[in-house]
Amino acid sequence: MKADKLIQLFKNDEPRLASPVRQLLGIIWANLKILLAYKSWLIMDLLSTVASVVMYYFVGLQVDPQRLVQTGWGTSYLAFSLIGVATSHYLWSCLTRLSHSIQHEIRGGTLETVAVTPVNMFVFFIGLTARGYLVSSIYLIGVFAVGIVGLGVRFILTAQSVATALLSFALMLIANQALGLIAAGIVMVHKRGDPVTFIVAAMNEFLAGVLYPLEMLKAFPILQGLSMMLPYAYALDAMRRSLMFGVSLADQNVFSDLSILFGSTVILVPLGLAVLQWGYRTIRRQGTTSSY
Amino acid sequence: MKVEEIIKFLAEPVPEAQVDPVTKVIAFISRDFKIWWTYKLWIILDILGSLLFVATYYFVSKIVSPQALVNAGYAADFLTFTVIGIAFQNYVFSSVSGLSEAIREEQWDGTMETILSSRTSFRVFLLGESVFRFIVASYFLLASMSMGVLMGASFNLNFSSFLAAAVLTILLIVSHMVVGILGAGAILKLKQGDPIVWAFSWLTQLFSGVLYPLGLLPGYLQWVGAVFPLTYSLDGIRRCLMSGEGFSSLAILEDITKLGLFILILLPVSLWVFKKAYDSTRREGALGQY
Repeated sequence: MKADKLIQLFKNDEPRLASPVRQLLGIIWANLKILLAYKSWLIMDLLSTVASVVMYYFVGLQVDPQRLVQTGWGTSYLAFSLIGVATSHYLWSCLTRLSHSIQHEIRGGTLETVAVTPVNMFVFFIGLTARGYLVSSIYLIGVFAVGIVGLGVRFILTAQSVATALLSFALMLIANQALGLIAAGIVMVHKRGDPVTFIVAAMNEFLAGVLYPLEMLKAFPILQGLSMMLPYAYALDAMRRSLMFGVSLADQNVFSDLSILFGSTVILVPLGLAVLQWGYRTIRRQGTTSSY
Repeated sequence: MKVEEIIKFLAEPVPEAQVDPVTKVIAFISRDFKIWWTYKLWIILDILGSLLFVATYYFVSKIVSPQALVNAGYAADFLTFTVIGIAFQNYVFSSVSGLSEAIREEQWDGTMETILSSRTSFRVFLLGESVFRFIVASYFLLASMSMGVLMGASFNLNFSSFLAAAVLTILLIVSHMVVGILGAGAILKLKQGDPIVWAFSWLTQLFSGVLYPLGLLPGYLQWVGAVFPLTYSLDGIRRCLMSGEGFSSLAILEDITKLGLFILILLPVSLWVFKKAYDSTRREGALGQY
Protein backbone atom coordinates (compact mmCIF):
# COMPACT_ATOMS: atom_id res chain seq x y z
CA MET A 1 0.00 0.00 0.00
CA LYS A 2 1.42 3.35 -0.94
CA ALA A 3 2.00 6.06 1.61
CA ASP A 4 -0.55 8.32 -0.05
CA LYS A 5 -3.20 5.67 0.31
CA LEU A 6 -2.32 5.16 3.97
CA ILE A 7 -2.58 8.87 4.61
CA GLN A 8 -5.88 8.94 2.81
CA LEU A 9 -7.09 6.05 4.95
CA PHE A 10 -6.28 7.80 8.20
CA LYS A 11 -7.50 11.13 7.03
CA ASN A 12 -10.64 12.29 8.76
CA ASP A 13 -13.28 14.42 7.26
CA GLU A 14 -12.35 18.00 6.82
CA PRO A 15 -12.79 19.63 10.24
CA ARG A 16 -15.42 22.30 10.50
CA LEU A 17 -13.41 25.48 10.69
CA ALA A 18 -14.93 28.38 12.51
CA SER A 19 -13.95 31.80 11.29
CA PRO A 20 -11.25 33.60 13.34
CA VAL A 21 -13.91 35.97 14.68
CA ARG A 22 -16.04 33.06 15.93
CA GLN A 23 -12.96 31.44 17.45
CA LEU A 24 -12.08 34.69 19.21
CA LEU A 25 -15.61 35.08 20.53
CA GLY A 26 -15.55 31.48 21.75
CA ILE A 27 -12.29 32.01 23.65
CA ILE A 28 -13.53 35.28 25.15
CA TRP A 29 -16.81 33.60 26.14
CA ALA A 30 -14.93 30.74 27.84
CA ASN A 31 -12.80 33.21 29.78
CA LEU A 32 -15.81 35.30 30.68
CA LYS A 33 -17.53 32.24 32.13
CA ILE A 34 -14.48 31.52 34.29
CA LEU A 35 -14.39 35.15 35.40
CA LEU A 36 -18.09 35.16 36.30
CA ALA A 37 -17.66 31.94 38.27
CA TYR A 38 -15.78 33.98 40.89
CA LYS A 39 -18.52 36.44 41.75
CA SER A 40 -17.29 37.27 45.24
CA TRP A 41 -13.91 38.22 43.73
CA LEU A 42 -15.62 40.46 41.21
CA ILE A 43 -17.58 42.23 43.91
CA MET A 44 -14.46 42.62 46.04
CA ASP A 45 -12.59 44.01 43.03
CA LEU A 46 -15.31 46.57 42.44
CA LEU A 47 -15.36 47.59 46.08
CA SER A 48 -11.59 47.88 46.20
CA THR A 49 -11.79 50.11 43.09
CA VAL A 50 -13.98 52.52 45.01
CA ALA A 51 -11.72 52.25 48.04
CA SER A 52 -8.56 53.02 46.08
CA VAL A 53 -10.00 56.20 44.58
CA VAL A 54 -11.35 57.41 47.91
CA MET A 55 -7.96 56.67 49.46
CA TYR A 56 -6.17 58.90 46.95
CA TYR A 57 -8.77 61.57 47.59
CA PHE A 58 -7.69 61.67 51.24
CA VAL A 59 -4.00 61.53 50.29
CA GLY A 60 -4.73 64.45 47.98
CA LEU A 61 -6.09 66.47 50.91
CA GLN A 62 -2.56 66.47 52.33
CA VAL A 63 -0.92 67.64 49.13
CA ASP A 64 0.25 71.23 49.15
CA PRO A 65 -1.39 72.70 45.99
CA GLN A 66 1.45 75.23 45.74
CA ARG A 67 4.05 72.49 45.44
CA LEU A 68 1.96 70.65 42.84
CA VAL A 69 1.60 73.89 40.84
CA GLN A 70 5.39 74.27 40.89
CA THR A 71 5.69 70.92 39.11
CA GLY A 72 3.35 72.21 36.40
CA TRP A 73 0.34 70.01 37.14
CA GLY A 74 -2.27 72.44 38.45
CA THR A 75 -3.77 72.21 41.92
CA SER A 76 -5.75 68.96 41.89
CA TYR A 77 -3.72 65.98 43.04
CA LEU A 78 -6.81 63.78 42.78
CA ALA A 79 -7.21 64.58 39.07
CA PHE A 80 -3.49 63.93 38.60
CA SER A 81 -3.48 60.59 40.44
CA LEU A 82 -6.86 59.45 39.05
CA ILE A 83 -5.47 59.20 35.51
CA GLY A 84 -2.46 57.25 36.77
CA VAL A 85 -4.48 54.89 38.96
CA ALA A 86 -7.16 54.26 36.31
CA THR A 87 -4.66 53.35 33.59
CA SER A 88 -2.14 51.44 35.71
CA HIS A 89 -4.50 48.44 35.82
CA TYR A 90 -4.30 48.33 32.01
CA LEU A 91 -0.53 48.52 32.20
CA TRP A 92 -0.46 45.40 34.39
CA SER A 93 -2.90 43.63 32.06
CA CYS A 94 -0.82 44.44 28.99
CA LEU A 95 2.46 43.40 30.51
CA THR A 96 1.54 40.38 32.59
CA ARG A 97 -1.85 38.97 31.54
CA LEU A 98 -0.80 36.99 28.45
CA SER A 99 2.28 35.39 29.97
CA HIS A 100 0.30 34.56 33.11
CA SER A 101 -2.57 33.05 31.11
CA ILE A 102 -0.21 31.01 28.95
CA GLN A 103 1.49 29.60 32.05
CA HIS A 104 -1.95 28.78 33.42
CA GLU A 105 -2.89 26.99 30.19
CA ILE A 106 0.41 25.09 30.18
CA ARG A 107 -0.11 24.01 33.80
CA GLY A 108 -3.66 22.96 33.06
CA GLY A 109 -2.48 21.03 30.00
CA THR A 110 -4.92 22.94 27.80
CA LEU A 111 -2.37 24.78 25.64
CA GLU A 112 -1.33 21.51 24.02
CA THR A 113 -4.96 20.52 23.50
CA VAL A 114 -5.77 23.80 21.80
CA ALA A 115 -2.55 23.69 19.80
CA VAL A 116 -3.55 20.43 18.09
CA THR A 117 -6.94 21.78 17.03
CA PRO A 118 -7.36 23.98 13.98
CA VAL A 119 -7.72 27.04 16.24
CA ASN A 120 -5.58 29.90 15.03
CA MET A 121 -3.07 30.35 17.85
CA PHE A 122 -2.72 34.05 17.22
CA VAL A 123 -6.46 34.37 17.74
CA PHE A 124 -6.16 32.19 20.84
CA PHE A 125 -3.54 34.49 22.35
CA ILE A 126 -5.66 37.56 21.60
CA GLY A 127 -8.58 35.82 23.32
CA LEU A 128 -6.45 35.14 26.40
CA THR A 129 -5.57 38.82 26.75
CA ALA A 130 -9.18 39.89 26.34
CA ARG A 131 -10.11 38.88 29.89
CA GLY A 132 -7.47 41.22 31.31
CA TYR A 133 -8.72 44.05 29.13
CA LEU A 134 -12.28 43.42 30.25
CA VAL A 135 -11.40 43.57 33.95
CA SER A 136 -9.20 46.63 33.41
CA SER A 137 -12.01 48.38 31.53
CA ILE A 138 -14.40 47.77 34.43
CA TYR A 139 -11.74 49.14 36.76
CA LEU A 140 -11.07 52.18 34.56
CA ILE A 141 -14.75 53.05 34.26
CA GLY A 142 -15.20 52.51 38.02
CA VAL A 143 -12.24 54.74 38.91
CA PHE A 144 -13.37 57.58 36.63
CA ALA A 145 -17.00 57.24 37.75
CA VAL A 146 -16.09 57.44 41.44
CA GLY A 147 -13.63 60.28 40.82
CA ILE A 148 -15.79 62.41 38.55
CA VAL A 149 -19.29 61.73 39.87
CA GLY A 150 -18.53 60.88 43.49
CA LEU A 151 -15.59 63.14 44.31
CA GLY A 152 -16.12 66.00 41.87
CA VAL A 153 -12.90 65.78 39.84
CA ARG A 154 -13.10 68.18 36.90
CA PHE A 155 -11.49 67.29 33.58
CA ILE A 156 -11.57 69.48 30.48
CA LEU A 157 -13.54 67.29 28.11
CA THR A 158 -13.62 68.77 24.61
CA ALA A 159 -13.74 66.73 21.41
CA GLN A 160 -10.07 67.47 20.80
CA SER A 161 -8.85 66.72 24.32
CA VAL A 162 -10.81 63.47 24.54
CA ALA A 163 -9.59 62.38 21.10
CA THR A 164 -6.00 63.14 22.10
CA ALA A 165 -6.38 61.25 25.38
CA LEU A 166 -7.90 58.25 23.59
CA LEU A 167 -5.13 58.24 21.00
CA SER A 168 -2.48 58.35 23.76
CA PHE A 169 -4.30 55.57 25.58
CA ALA A 170 -4.51 53.40 22.47
CA LEU A 171 -0.81 53.88 21.71
CA MET A 172 0.02 53.08 25.33
CA LEU A 173 -1.95 49.83 25.10
CA ILE A 174 -0.30 48.81 21.84
CA ALA A 175 3.24 49.60 23.00
CA ASN A 176 2.82 47.86 26.36
CA GLN A 177 0.99 44.89 24.87
CA ALA A 178 3.96 44.47 22.56
CA LEU A 179 6.17 44.29 25.66
CA GLY A 180 3.67 41.75 27.03
CA LEU A 181 4.10 39.65 23.86
CA ILE A 182 7.86 39.64 24.38
CA ALA A 183 7.36 38.53 28.00
CA ALA A 184 4.92 35.80 26.92
CA GLY A 185 7.33 34.45 24.30
CA ILE A 186 10.14 34.23 26.83
CA VAL A 187 7.92 32.73 29.56
CA MET A 188 6.70 30.03 27.15
CA VAL A 189 10.22 28.85 26.43
CA HIS A 190 11.86 29.28 29.82
CA LYS A 191 8.74 28.20 31.77
CA ARG A 192 9.46 30.75 34.45
CA GLY A 193 9.80 34.47 34.23
CA ASP A 194 6.54 35.53 35.76
CA PRO A 195 8.52 37.18 38.60
CA VAL A 196 10.51 39.21 36.06
CA THR A 197 7.32 40.31 34.30
CA PHE A 198 5.94 41.31 37.69
CA ILE A 199 8.91 43.48 38.53
CA VAL A 200 8.98 45.06 35.05
CA ALA A 201 5.36 46.07 35.57
CA ALA A 202 6.08 47.37 39.09
CA MET A 203 9.10 49.36 37.82
CA ASN A 204 6.93 50.77 35.03
CA GLU A 205 4.33 51.88 37.53
CA PHE A 206 6.96 53.45 39.77
CA LEU A 207 9.06 55.19 37.12
CA ALA A 208 6.23 56.41 34.90
CA GLY A 209 4.87 58.68 37.63
CA VAL A 210 1.51 57.12 38.41
CA LEU A 211 1.32 58.86 41.79
CA TYR A 212 3.84 61.68 41.61
CA PRO A 213 4.98 64.18 38.96
CA LEU A 214 8.04 63.01 37.05
CA GLU A 215 9.58 66.44 37.62
CA MET A 216 10.54 65.02 41.06
CA LEU A 217 12.99 62.68 39.36
CA LYS A 218 15.19 65.55 38.16
CA ALA A 219 17.36 65.10 41.24
CA PHE A 220 17.93 61.44 40.26
CA PRO A 221 19.33 61.37 36.71
CA ILE A 222 19.53 57.55 36.50
CA LEU A 223 15.89 57.13 37.49
CA GLN A 224 14.91 59.94 35.15
CA GLY A 225 16.84 58.27 32.31
CA LEU A 226 15.06 54.97 32.98
CA SER A 227 11.70 56.68 33.12
CA MET A 228 12.33 58.27 29.71
CA MET A 229 12.64 54.78 28.24
CA LEU A 230 9.09 53.81 29.21
CA PRO A 231 6.22 54.30 26.75
CA TYR A 232 3.80 54.48 29.69
CA ALA A 233 5.51 57.64 31.00
CA TYR A 234 4.84 59.46 27.70
CA ALA A 235 1.28 58.16 27.52
CA LEU A 236 0.53 59.36 31.06
CA ASP A 237 2.03 62.76 30.32
CA ALA A 238 -0.08 63.15 27.16
CA MET A 239 -3.28 61.90 28.79
CA ARG A 240 -2.85 64.20 31.78
CA ARG A 241 -2.11 67.23 29.61
CA SER A 242 -5.14 66.58 27.40
CA LEU A 243 -7.63 65.81 30.19
CA MET A 244 -6.37 68.24 32.83
CA PHE A 245 -5.47 71.21 30.59
CA GLY A 246 -7.67 70.48 27.55
CA VAL A 247 -4.78 70.58 25.09
CA SER A 248 -4.74 68.62 21.86
CA LEU A 249 -2.22 67.16 19.47
CA ALA A 250 -1.25 70.71 18.48
CA ASP A 251 0.43 71.15 21.87
CA GLN A 252 4.18 70.73 21.52
CA ASN A 253 4.58 68.48 24.59
CA VAL A 254 1.69 66.22 23.60
CA PHE A 255 2.91 66.02 20.01
CA SER A 256 6.35 65.05 21.22
CA ASP A 257 4.88 62.43 23.63
CA LEU A 258 2.75 60.89 20.90
CA SER A 259 5.59 60.87 18.40
CA ILE A 260 7.77 58.92 20.83
CA LEU A 261 4.86 56.59 21.63
CA PHE A 262 4.22 56.01 17.93
CA GLY A 263 7.92 55.33 17.36
CA SER A 264 7.88 52.84 20.25
CA THR A 265 4.93 50.95 18.82
CA VAL A 266 6.54 50.80 15.36
CA ILE A 267 9.63 49.17 16.90
CA LEU A 268 7.98 47.07 19.63
CA VAL A 269 5.02 45.52 17.81
CA PRO A 270 7.00 43.58 15.16
CA LEU A 271 9.53 42.64 17.83
CA GLY A 272 6.79 41.41 20.19
CA LEU A 273 5.10 39.38 17.46
CA ALA A 274 8.42 37.87 16.43
CA VAL A 275 9.34 36.86 19.99
CA LEU A 276 5.87 35.38 20.61
CA GLN A 277 6.09 33.40 17.37
CA TRP A 278 9.60 32.25 18.24
CA GLY A 279 8.43 31.14 21.71
CA TYR A 280 5.46 29.22 20.37
CA ARG A 281 7.41 27.54 17.58
CA THR A 282 10.20 26.61 20.00
CA ILE A 283 7.91 24.84 22.48
CA ARG A 284 6.11 23.06 19.64
CA ARG A 285 9.42 21.88 18.20
CA GLN A 286 10.69 20.81 21.62
CA GLY A 287 7.37 19.17 22.47
CA THR A 288 7.10 21.14 25.72
CA THR A 289 3.66 22.69 25.26
CA SER A 290 2.53 21.01 28.44
CA SER A 291 5.78 20.99 30.46
CA TYR A 292 6.23 23.43 33.31
CA MET B 1 -20.33 -10.32 65.77
CA LYS B 2 -21.40 -7.22 67.57
CA VAL B 3 -20.56 -3.72 66.38
CA GLU B 4 -18.35 -3.13 69.44
CA GLU B 5 -16.41 -6.28 68.65
CA ILE B 6 -15.88 -5.18 65.04
CA ILE B 7 -14.66 -1.78 66.20
CA LYS B 8 -12.34 -3.46 68.70
CA PHE B 9 -11.08 -5.78 66.00
CA LEU B 10 -10.34 -2.95 63.58
CA ALA B 11 -9.08 -0.40 66.12
CA GLU B 12 -5.40 0.33 66.06
CA PRO B 13 -3.54 0.87 69.32
CA VAL B 14 -3.32 4.55 70.23
CA PRO B 15 0.33 5.56 69.94
CA GLU B 16 1.85 6.16 73.35
CA ALA B 17 4.42 8.72 72.34
CA GLN B 18 2.99 12.05 71.32
CA VAL B 19 4.88 14.83 69.62
CA ASP B 20 4.55 17.97 71.70
CA PRO B 21 2.89 21.01 70.05
CA VAL B 22 6.09 23.10 70.08
CA THR B 23 7.96 20.49 68.05
CA LYS B 24 5.06 20.33 65.63
CA VAL B 25 5.01 24.12 65.18
CA ILE B 26 8.78 24.07 64.59
CA ALA B 27 8.23 21.34 61.99
CA PHE B 28 5.66 23.55 60.26
CA ILE B 29 8.13 26.47 60.26
CA SER B 30 10.92 24.28 58.91
CA ARG B 31 8.70 22.94 56.12
CA ASP B 32 7.47 26.40 55.13
CA PHE B 33 10.98 27.81 55.20
CA LYS B 34 12.20 25.10 52.83
CA ILE B 35 9.38 25.83 50.39
CA TRP B 36 9.93 29.60 50.67
CA TRP B 37 13.68 29.28 50.12
CA THR B 38 13.10 27.31 46.89
CA TYR B 39 11.76 30.43 45.20
CA LYS B 40 14.75 32.73 45.72
CA LEU B 41 13.94 34.99 42.78
CA TRP B 42 10.48 35.64 44.21
CA ILE B 43 12.05 36.57 47.56
CA ILE B 44 14.26 39.18 45.91
CA LEU B 45 11.46 40.52 43.74
CA ASP B 46 9.04 40.68 46.66
CA ILE B 47 11.51 42.84 48.55
CA LEU B 48 12.08 44.97 45.47
CA GLY B 49 8.30 45.42 45.17
CA SER B 50 8.04 46.63 48.79
CA LEU B 51 10.95 49.00 48.24
CA LEU B 52 9.37 50.47 45.10
CA PHE B 53 6.22 51.15 47.08
CA VAL B 54 8.19 53.03 49.74
CA ALA B 55 10.15 54.90 47.06
CA THR B 56 6.88 56.01 45.43
CA TYR B 57 5.79 57.66 48.65
CA TYR B 58 9.18 59.28 49.04
CA PHE B 59 8.36 61.27 45.91
CA VAL B 60 4.76 61.88 47.00
CA SER B 61 6.10 63.25 50.31
CA LYS B 62 7.84 66.01 48.33
CA ILE B 63 4.51 67.59 47.41
CA VAL B 64 2.70 66.97 50.70
CA SER B 65 2.18 69.50 53.46
CA PRO B 66 2.63 67.96 56.94
CA GLN B 67 -0.01 70.25 58.48
CA ALA B 68 -2.65 67.50 58.71
CA LEU B 69 -0.16 65.31 60.58
CA VAL B 70 0.64 68.09 63.04
CA ASN B 71 -3.08 68.68 63.61
CA ALA B 72 -3.47 64.98 64.42
CA GLY B 73 -0.68 65.12 67.01
CA TYR B 74 2.08 63.43 65.00
CA ALA B 75 5.52 64.75 64.09
CA ALA B 76 5.60 66.79 60.87
CA ASP B 77 7.15 64.04 58.74
CA PHE B 78 4.93 62.56 56.02
CA LEU B 79 7.58 60.12 54.78
CA THR B 80 8.07 58.50 58.21
CA PHE B 81 4.30 58.50 58.73
CA THR B 82 3.65 56.65 55.46
CA VAL B 83 6.64 54.31 55.78
CA ILE B 84 5.25 53.08 59.12
CA GLY B 85 1.73 52.88 57.65
CA ILE B 86 2.74 50.97 54.52
CA ALA B 87 5.21 48.68 56.29
CA PHE B 88 2.78 47.63 59.04
CA GLN B 89 -0.25 47.39 56.74
CA ASN B 90 1.73 45.13 54.40
CA TYR B 91 2.93 43.24 57.44
CA VAL B 92 -0.53 42.36 58.67
CA PHE B 93 -1.98 41.86 55.20
CA SER B 94 0.74 39.48 54.04
CA SER B 95 0.55 37.49 57.29
CA VAL B 96 -3.24 37.33 57.30
CA SER B 97 -3.60 36.56 53.60
CA GLY B 98 -0.65 34.17 53.90
CA LEU B 99 -2.62 32.06 56.37
CA SER B 100 -5.61 31.87 54.03
CA GLU B 101 -3.38 31.08 51.05
CA ALA B 102 -1.62 28.37 53.03
CA ILE B 103 -4.93 26.70 53.87
CA ARG B 104 -6.03 26.99 50.26
CA GLU B 105 -2.80 25.35 49.11
CA GLU B 106 -3.21 22.55 51.66
CA GLN B 107 -6.71 21.98 50.26
CA TRP B 108 -5.40 21.91 46.68
CA ASP B 109 -2.58 19.54 47.51
CA GLY B 110 -4.80 17.36 49.66
CA THR B 111 -2.41 17.63 52.60
CA MET B 112 -4.79 19.34 55.04
CA GLU B 113 -6.94 16.23 55.41
CA THR B 114 -3.81 14.17 56.00
CA ILE B 115 -2.47 16.48 58.70
CA LEU B 116 -5.79 16.92 60.47
CA SER B 117 -6.46 13.18 60.41
CA SER B 118 -3.29 12.73 62.44
CA ARG B 119 -3.05 13.55 66.13
CA THR B 120 -2.60 17.24 65.41
CA SER B 121 -5.24 19.56 66.79
CA PHE B 122 -6.60 22.34 64.59
CA ARG B 123 -5.16 24.91 67.04
CA VAL B 124 -1.63 23.59 66.49
CA PHE B 125 -2.33 23.41 62.76
CA LEU B 126 -3.45 27.04 62.67
CA LEU B 127 -0.52 28.20 64.78
CA GLY B 128 1.90 26.22 62.66
CA GLU B 129 0.50 27.67 59.44
CA SER B 130 0.60 31.24 60.84
CA VAL B 131 3.99 31.53 62.51
CA PHE B 132 6.17 31.33 59.42
CA ARG B 133 3.96 33.87 57.57
CA PHE B 134 4.58 36.33 60.38
CA ILE B 135 8.33 35.63 60.32
CA VAL B 136 8.49 36.33 56.57
CA ALA B 137 6.27 39.38 56.96
CA SER B 138 8.64 40.67 59.67
CA TYR B 139 11.51 40.32 57.23
CA PHE B 140 9.66 42.49 54.70
CA LEU B 141 8.70 44.94 57.44
CA LEU B 142 12.37 45.43 58.32
CA ALA B 143 13.28 45.81 54.63
CA SER B 144 10.62 48.50 54.12
CA MET B 145 11.62 50.37 57.29
CA SER B 146 15.31 50.23 56.33
CA MET B 147 14.49 51.55 52.87
CA GLY B 148 12.51 54.34 54.54
CA VAL B 149 15.49 55.25 56.70
CA LEU B 150 17.76 55.30 53.64
CA MET B 151 15.35 57.71 51.97
CA GLY B 152 15.24 60.05 54.94
CA ALA B 153 12.58 58.72 57.31
CA SER B 154 13.62 59.46 60.88
CA PHE B 155 12.67 57.50 63.98
CA ASN B 156 12.80 58.98 67.45
CA LEU B 157 13.42 56.01 69.74
CA ASN B 158 14.28 55.65 73.40
CA PHE B 159 14.13 52.61 75.69
CA SER B 160 10.55 53.23 76.85
CA SER B 161 9.23 53.98 73.36
CA PHE B 162 11.02 50.91 71.99
CA LEU B 163 9.39 48.71 74.65
CA ALA B 164 5.98 50.22 74.00
CA ALA B 165 6.42 49.71 70.24
CA ALA B 166 7.40 46.06 70.87
CA VAL B 167 4.28 45.49 73.02
CA LEU B 168 2.09 47.14 70.40
CA THR B 169 3.63 45.00 67.66
CA ILE B 170 2.92 41.81 69.62
CA LEU B 171 -0.67 42.94 70.17
CA LEU B 172 -0.87 43.79 66.46
CA ILE B 173 0.24 40.26 65.55
CA VAL B 174 -2.19 38.51 67.91
CA SER B 175 -5.12 40.76 66.97
CA HIS B 176 -4.54 40.05 63.28
CA MET B 177 -4.28 36.34 63.81
CA VAL B 178 -7.93 36.68 64.83
CA VAL B 179 -8.74 38.06 61.36
CA GLY B 180 -6.62 35.37 59.72
CA ILE B 181 -8.43 32.60 61.61
CA LEU B 182 -11.81 34.01 60.55
CA GLY B 183 -10.61 34.08 56.93
CA ALA B 184 -9.31 30.53 57.21
CA GLY B 185 -12.72 29.40 58.53
CA ALA B 186 -14.39 31.07 55.55
CA ILE B 187 -12.05 29.25 53.15
CA LEU B 188 -12.76 25.88 54.75
CA LYS B 189 -16.46 26.33 54.07
CA LEU B 190 -16.54 28.39 50.87
CA LYS B 191 -13.60 26.62 49.12
CA GLN B 192 -12.69 29.71 47.18
CA GLY B 193 -10.92 33.03 47.42
CA ASP B 194 -11.06 34.72 50.72
CA PRO B 195 -13.50 37.62 50.76
CA ILE B 196 -12.88 38.34 54.46
CA VAL B 197 -9.16 38.96 53.95
CA TRP B 198 -9.76 41.07 50.84
CA ALA B 199 -12.41 43.16 52.54
CA PHE B 200 -10.09 43.53 55.49
CA SER B 201 -7.29 44.71 53.22
CA TRP B 202 -9.13 47.52 51.47
CA LEU B 203 -11.14 48.57 54.51
CA THR B 204 -7.98 48.98 56.59
CA GLN B 205 -6.22 50.84 53.78
CA LEU B 206 -9.12 53.23 53.67
CA PHE B 207 -10.11 53.64 57.29
CA SER B 208 -7.12 52.77 59.48
CA GLY B 209 -5.02 55.79 58.58
CA VAL B 210 -2.31 54.00 56.58
CA LEU B 211 -1.55 56.99 54.33
CA TYR B 212 -3.30 59.85 56.13
CA PRO B 213 -4.34 60.75 59.66
CA LEU B 214 -7.89 59.70 60.49
CA GLY B 215 -8.82 63.31 61.24
CA LEU B 216 -9.09 63.87 57.48
CA LEU B 217 -12.02 61.46 57.25
CA PRO B 218 -15.47 62.95 57.75
CA GLY B 219 -16.88 62.29 61.23
CA TYR B 220 -19.41 59.73 59.98
CA LEU B 221 -16.57 57.59 58.53
CA GLN B 222 -14.14 57.85 61.44
CA TRP B 223 -16.06 55.27 63.50
CA VAL B 224 -15.36 52.64 60.81
CA GLY B 225 -11.64 52.90 61.54
CA ALA B 226 -12.36 52.35 65.24
CA VAL B 227 -13.46 48.78 64.45
CA PHE B 228 -10.04 47.70 63.16
CA PRO B 229 -7.11 46.80 65.41
CA LEU B 230 -4.70 48.19 62.81
CA THR B 231 -6.00 51.69 63.57
CA TYR B 232 -4.88 51.50 67.22
CA SER B 233 -1.67 49.65 66.40
CA LEU B 234 -0.63 52.23 63.80
CA ASP B 235 -1.53 55.15 66.05
CA GLY B 236 0.44 53.70 68.97
CA ILE B 237 3.45 52.59 66.94
CA ARG B 238 3.67 55.97 65.18
CA ARG B 239 3.57 57.79 68.51
CA CYS B 240 6.40 55.55 69.78
CA LEU B 241 8.57 55.68 66.67
CA MET B 242 7.95 59.24 65.53
CA SER B 243 7.53 61.15 68.80
CA GLY B 244 9.40 58.88 71.22
CA GLU B 245 6.33 58.43 73.44
CA GLY B 246 6.30 55.45 75.82
CA PHE B 247 4.06 53.83 78.43
CA SER B 248 3.61 57.15 80.20
CA SER B 249 1.58 58.44 77.24
CA LEU B 250 -2.16 58.21 77.81
CA ALA B 251 -2.81 57.79 74.08
CA ILE B 252 -0.52 54.75 73.94
CA LEU B 253 -2.07 53.19 77.04
CA GLU B 254 -5.47 53.72 75.48
CA ASP B 255 -4.32 52.00 72.25
CA ILE B 256 -2.89 49.06 74.22
CA THR B 257 -6.11 48.68 76.23
CA LYS B 258 -8.29 48.72 73.13
CA LEU B 259 -6.09 46.15 71.36
CA GLY B 260 -6.16 43.95 74.48
CA LEU B 261 -9.95 44.15 74.63
CA PHE B 262 -10.20 43.33 70.92
CA ILE B 263 -8.11 40.20 71.42
CA LEU B 264 -9.93 39.15 74.60
CA ILE B 265 -13.32 39.36 72.93
CA LEU B 266 -12.60 38.23 69.39
CA LEU B 267 -9.94 35.54 69.75
CA PRO B 268 -12.35 33.03 71.38
CA VAL B 269 -15.03 34.02 68.86
CA SER B 270 -12.74 33.45 65.88
CA LEU B 271 -11.56 30.10 67.25
CA TRP B 272 -15.18 29.11 67.81
CA VAL B 273 -16.12 30.11 64.24
CA PHE B 274 -13.16 28.20 62.82
CA LYS B 275 -14.01 25.15 64.96
CA LYS B 276 -17.61 25.24 63.70
CA ALA B 277 -16.45 25.48 60.07
CA TYR B 278 -13.85 22.78 60.68
CA ASP B 279 -16.31 20.38 62.35
CA SER B 280 -18.93 20.95 59.69
CA THR B 281 -16.39 20.37 56.89
CA ARG B 282 -15.17 17.22 58.62
CA ARG B 283 -18.71 15.96 59.06
CA GLU B 284 -19.34 16.50 55.35
CA GLY B 285 -16.07 14.72 54.58
CA ALA B 286 -15.03 17.76 52.56
CA LEU B 287 -11.65 18.60 54.10
CA GLY B 288 -9.86 17.46 50.97
CA GLN B 289 -12.24 19.11 48.54
CA TYR B 290 -11.48 22.36 46.78
